[in-house]
Amino acid sequence: MPAPIGSPRAAARSTGAFIATRGALSRRQFLRGAGIALSLPLLDSMLPAFARAGETAKAKPRRMFAICNNLGLLPEQFFPKETGRGYALSPYLQLLREHRDDFTVFSGVSHPDVDGGHPADICFLTAAPHPGSGGFRNTLSLDQYIAERIGHETRYASLTLGVNVQQGVRSLSWTGSGVLIPCEEKASDVFRRLFVQGSPAEVQAQLRKLAQGQSILDAVGGQAKSLQRSVGARDRERLDQYFTSVRELERRMELAKEWETRPKPKVTAPVPLDPASPREYMDKVKLMYDMARLAFETDSTRSISLMLDSVNSPAIDLHDDVKITDGYHNLSHHGRSEAKIAQLKAIDEWHMKLIAGLLKDLKAVKEDGDTLLDRTMVLYGTNLGNANTHVTTNLPTLLAGGGFRHGQHLGFDVNHNYPLPNLFVSMLQRMGIEADRFASSTGTMRGLELV
Amino acid sequence: MRPHDFVPRLVFSLAAVLAACAGVASAAPVPSAAAAFIEQHCANCHDDVEKKGGLDLTALSLQLQDRKNFATWVKVHDRVVAGEMPPRDKPRPAAGAVDAFVHALTGPMLAAERAAEAGQGRATQRRLNRFEYENAVRDLLGAPWLQIRDGLPEDGEAHRFNKIGDALDLSHVNLARYLAVAEDALRQVMAHQVDRPATKTTRYYARDQRSFANRMTYSVFNTRAERATFPVLGTQAQPEVRSTRQPITVGDAYPATREREAMGVVASSYEPIELRFEKFKAPQSGRYKVRVSAYSVWVGPGKAPPGKAERWWIPNFDDVSPGRRPEPLTFYAELPPRQLRRLGAFDVGTEPTTGELEVDLLEGETIRPDAVRLFRSRPSNWVNPLATREGQPGVAFRWLEVEGPLLDAWPGTGHRLMFGDLPLRRTPGGGVEVQPRDVEADADRLLAAFIARAYRRPVAAEEIAPFRAVIAASLRAGTSFADAMIAGYTAVLCSPAFLCLEETPGALSDHAVAARLAFFLWNSAPDDELRALAARGELRRPEVLRAQAERLLASPKARQFTDAFLDYWLDLRKIQATSPDSALYNDYYLDDALTEAALEETQLFFAELVRADLPAKNLVASEFAFVNERLAAHYGLPPVDGIAVRRVALPPDSPRGGLLTQASVLKVTANGTTTSPVLRGAWIMERILGLPPSPPPPSVPAVEPDIRGAKTIRQLLDRHRSEESCAACHTRIDPAGFALENFDVMGGWRDRYRAIAEGVPPVEGIGKGGLKFTFHYAQPVDAAGESWDGRPFRDVRDFKRLLLDDEAQLARNLARQLVTYATGAPVRFGDRPAVEKILEQTRARGYGVRALVHAIVQSELFLNK
Repeated sequence: MPAPIGSPRAAARSTGAFIATRGALSRRQFLRGAGIALSLPLLDSMLPAFARAGETAKAKPRRMFAICNNLGLLPEQFFPKETGRGYALSPYLQLLREHRDDFTVFSGVSHPDVDGGHPADICFLTAAPHPGSGGFRNTLSLDQYIAERIGHETRYASLTLGVNVQQGVRSLSWTGSGVLIPCEEKASDVFRRLFVQGSPAEVQAQLRKLAQGQSILDAVGGQAKSLQRSVGARDRERLDQYFTSVRELERRMELAKEWETRPKPKVTAPVPLDPASPREYMDKVKLMYDMARLAFETDSTRSISLMLDSVNSPAIDLHDDVKITDGYHNLSHHGRSEAKIAQLKAIDEWHMKLIAGLLKDLKAVKEDGDTLLDRTMVLYGTNLGNANTHVTTNLPTLLAGGGFRHGQHLGFDVNHNYPLPNLFVSMLQRMGIEADRFASSTGTMRGLELV
Repeated sequence: MRPHDFVPRLVFSLAAVLAACAGVASAAPVPSAAAAFIEQHCANCHDDVEKKGGLDLTALSLQLQDRKNFATWVKVHDRVVAGEMPPRDKPRPAAGAVDAFVHALTGPMLAAERAAEAGQGRATQRRLNRFEYENAVRDLLGAPWLQIRDGLPEDGEAHRFNKIGDALDLSHVNLARYLAVAEDALRQVMAHQVDRPATKTTRYYARDQRSFANRMTYSVFNTRAERATFPVLGTQAQPEVRSTRQPITVGDAYPATREREAMGVVASSYEPIELRFEKFKAPQSGRYKVRVSAYSVWVGPGKAPPGKAERWWIPNFDDVSPGRRPEPLTFYAELPPRQLRRLGAFDVGTEPTTGELEVDLLEGETIRPDAVRLFRSRPSNWVNPLATREGQPGVAFRWLEVEGPLLDAWPGTGHRLMFGDLPLRRTPGGGVEVQPRDVEADADRLLAAFIARAYRRPVAAEEIAPFRAVIAASLRAGTSFADAMIAGYTAVLCSPAFLCLEETPGALSDHAVAARLAFFLWNSAPDDELRALAARGELRRPEVLRAQAERLLASPKARQFTDAFLDYWLDLRKIQATSPDSALYNDYYLDDALTEAALEETQLFFAELVRADLPAKNLVASEFAFVNERLAAHYGLPPVDGIAVRRVALPPDSPRGGLLTQASVLKVTANGTTTSPVLRGAWIMERILGLPPSPPPPSVPAVEPDIRGAKTIRQLLDRHRSEESCAACHTRIDPAGFALENFDVMGGWRDRYRAIAEGVPPVEGIGKGGLKFTFHYAQPVDAAGESWDGRPFRDVRDFKRLLLDDEAQLARNLARQLVTYATGAPVRFGDRPAVEKILEQTRARGYGVRALVHAIVQSELFLNK
């Protein structure tokens, strides 16, 4: 569902007021507490009635959470030396040791022809080739591919999240016409969207607003239609795009109207407080992990992307002994400086700890006898094999949960990489979506088996 | 017969069959004259065996409907015409052979392009980009303060510009955003009160501001003098006030004394000392006059405590004296949390100086001053680099005075466009309600007037009905009159006729010309005068068109053209994309004033080329530059005073002058830590010379920079360049980059590279952030090289002279960039004669930049879709 029509400024003002009145817990307390508790065993009771009656009853819900850290991880610390099932954990993977059997680590993988260094981050879920070069067009991202197919089964077709994202420039989510979907940057906004019920008056106002939006779309769509008659092929294609956008937005407004009248899930936790500064990067990441887990736990969506825009992040605050003195991006150009590498390592280790926390939290939630992790694919990766040199090959990548036989290191040729889009095809199939291709895939991921 | 001789025909027939199956137009035979030339001069290397450069000309079909195929033939054509192929060490084609080859190819190529464009025109119909949309809505609603573009997704870019139809996509997400920003803009320009707001002048004393006063006293969060404020009366220290034994101000009872009270700083505004006049918050969005009174002071050196070591670098706030030099101040509008917009800058002297800026502010914004020359302390053991044994400079702020909101009329243009003169009434909730006299008639009348104004061409009566239906539906649903009208207006501002440039194939209508001209030279919609001329059918007359182009260029709004053009042509929008490395370049690190000056230099420089119609060769070598004090020092030029960027003559042997050696260009072509001759070279070749190199082959990693200083980038590159397959392109790419090796990541001159290595003592010095230098000087720079056509150069001065040998090419590139920007379509093969004609018309005056703009406006490229 796109941003609702309304005044962003007015929304911003009311957001501020909302936080102030509900700020019973400090953010730190919130983060350090027992996590966000749900008031009832949600998954059974919260399955939307109309969905339960429909197709979801027959298949297990499958979910995907795709995370890209656009500065990656120090490769020498990340990749294990041995391959196969009995491999020895690398220093970074040691931090995930309690989940060893719940993830697969990949090496020697990349997106074919996705080059160009930093610009490649927007291709992490699209695998569209040559993002740095002229005439580049991005293509449909994996999360949106999923959203288009099963999005109607949940309140939200997908969530596009970000941390410190350079707005309007970066996002993992792209529509089929290669248009960026902006990231939600505030956990409080995500939380409100998921759980905070509008008052009856607000619901009525929103319904009226949606109806008004639809009448606006009728007017502009009608004009596009009448203009279409008189133009050449290339121009008609442009107007078609306009008209398609109108129709897509109309459809979403229609669905939104339906959802508007259904109650949202209830949670006991207060609206999270958003970290005020981009320096609190790790807090923001943790909050987004929590939001993703809550969204899955309440079956509010099945497809989430999260862009960790490290490139756009300042010197970050790690709350521990290692003092970060330099902007994240500058650090990544470490030029082999030992001081810089040490700081990067401290940051990377935090990333690994947060992933461990996420996996643990997902395991703690049960759904029909499975854990949430059993049904949630967590993809963690990056567009850079080595941020210092900007190579876009040999990407540090791992996939956890979701119902695969994990506990292995799938090592491919570091000189001639194996196509990462093959993993996407495997993931789509695991979602129950009939797909045998995605972008430049050549098949499914070799060596990755379903449970 | 060589074995591959039959291959082309086989390939051809196969391709034809496949194409026929797929329903696309089939390939044509390569014209015999061209085929013969290929056989004789090209096939030795470019056949199916050698495939040099990945090109097998014996198998290349002529399938010009296919864009890729067409582009390959253009490349073949261009390299033969340029004499680059066959290569210099191969036999030359006989006289006339090249002409025959070119002639044979050109015919079918032009025909193919004409066919592809038949009935469609060069340009693809496009929507406005987010900058154009913002400007158009601002102009329509008479609200230059509206901030709209950031609410819209980034626009797609093709051929380096955000003006190309094929890349200006629209998704449901874009559309939702357009709806949201349009409605928001309409609501913002509506009158928010019944009576005209009073224009007031209010003074805000620094002493009364929390951000000034709180930092005067120390706490656990505020322990260091360099990060504190201090009270002064004129240039006298006030220890009693500082120790809080006396109140912070004498108050309004003693106006003469109060006027002389000030708060000083020795640091510039940066976390944790961020000064702002927070008691002022713009009561409504609009125009304001902002005056600030401040002056420079001198703060004495810290005394050694008894028995302790000296500490002269710590400021002694009880020892204040008159300032020793003027100080530059910049001002930002600030909306919490730290959303900053630069408003302007001026200098203050050693005597209290009142500077004034007339600015647009958004509701709720406050004013942040910044004494930019002063240091910005970073953890952990900083020392003020400006401190001497005699003390250190500081700035004392007296007050901010704000006059406003400045209203031309009330209610404003936007409100009157939306609601005419309908009366306003206060609502119980404190809002305002528009009171229609006759709902239906008012809605009809206002909507018709709004559409007539918003659309850039005459409106047919039946076009109004769908929007009227929106209003009617809203009213039926119980929405208020104003909200219903806003729904209708929102639809108008998102409808194709407003959002898209309506251009029909063939000669553009007068209204379409008016729009093209305005979106070219103002980056906004046409104004009344252009619309009136278009309505009278006079705009296409050459002398009228010329006069209008002159009028638009003479307006201050022309900066919206030049700045937007530079943002994309030269990537200036990315000037903040990377920051100078805090270890290698801590003298530049956090120096916002330097980056701001660098940006302004290039903007003013290009605007000057347009204003004074200076020859295009100035793009590469000019005898003048635009600098302020900071930039002159950065460039090593004779000193100038003050923060205002102004034109200065350059010393005869200066390496500066022209775009190549401007700090902005040198910064956007570097990454903050290192420079790469390959990246800079490719950038210069494409942007300045218009000779874009081929893209890098996939999966070849970039040469890894080594900031430990053991090897120079040239040494690292040499291995790469010595391989024949790499050298083919790198002999073209690298020379411009080598010539610029004397310039560091911020465009400062260097004779040696900087490096960081353990065990090598660093250079002495303290950076802007107060931390000691950690770099040393490593290998010397070698900026010599050989141009792509074999001419040697010693350094950048030499290199620029080589570029000046072909002024026409510099002008040709600029003309192509401008045509792309102005018409929303790249210069294609068939457009080249038109560009040559533009050059021909301007050659006599050395390809003056303003003349180029005029010639483009009068050209068939501009006047046809």
